[in-house]
Amino acid sequence: MLSQREGRTKVLQSLRVMLVPGRYGLERWSFVLQRISGVAVSLYFIAHILETGNFVGGITVWTVPEYSFAEAAHQKSVELLKNPVFDVGLAVIGFLVALHTFNGLRLILTHFGFLVGKPGRPEPFEQPASLNARQRALFWLSISLAVFALLYTLDALMGVFRV
Amino acid sequence: MLMHYLSGLGILLFGAVHIFTIFFTYPFQATIWETTLKFDSIPFAILPVYRNALLAASLFGLLLCTTVHAMNGLRTVIAELVGFRNKWVDRILIAVGVFLTVYGLRTILIAHLLV
Repeated sequence: MLSQREGRTKVLQSLRVMLVPGRYGLERWSFVLQRISGVAVSLYFIAHILETGNFVGGITVWTVPEYSFAEAAHQKSVELLKNPVFDVGLAVIGFLVALHTFNGLRLILTHFGFLVGKPGRPEPFEQPASLNARQRALFWLSISLAVFALLYTLDALMGVFRV
Repeated sequence: MLMHYLSGLGILLFGAVHIFTIFFTYPFQATIWETTLKFDSIPFAILPVYRNALLAASLFGLLLCTTVHAMNGLRTVIAELVGFRNKWVDRILIAVGVFLTVYGLRTILIAHLLV
């Protein structure tokens, strides 16, 4: 069993290895982004369930309330959330959701053997195998779709691309 | 692993419906704050979505799939960080998942029945 100090050091080491993909390949960036987006979207999901719960009156309401009460609770929540910081935060969540989704689809396909190509004999001094061209294309497609999601969400919330 | 993939594909299906109802049904000269995030004043506002039984059921499907996917994903990341599975982490994540499912279902049912 690890002591508390050893355990903390191990977690910090794991975090450093997990979150600093700089000297590794695109595969590692894909892994790190999938982990970061997954954790961030999970935390947002918890906040989203609590926040939508406030739309009908919050955690103390467990029966159907008066219509006017729910409408007032919704109005209060919207007033709290409608600000540029929340809008930009939600656009970033849109980016992370799209990235996690499309990169996740690539990972599912890879797991079941699609788009990975045929195994080859490793030659001496050869670079270790990483993502092939199709995998790389799918990764960059995920990034592109995530950027589109970011821009679309910004426009939907703030109307930044209106003339 | 299969459960994580299946719940992820469930999120893709139900999430597409959710994203469509909020982000693709509003008149594009406005923002969603003025349209689909309104309470009940226009056809595509929040409450009409919940009043539709099929859309409300799809929201529950999304809630269930996302809870499973998120809690299992957090469990995996925590296990990777500390290097082993901790049963207390599992129990806490299961408790959070059950709470989110019950609380989210309560919101869906109240909004569905609100008149």
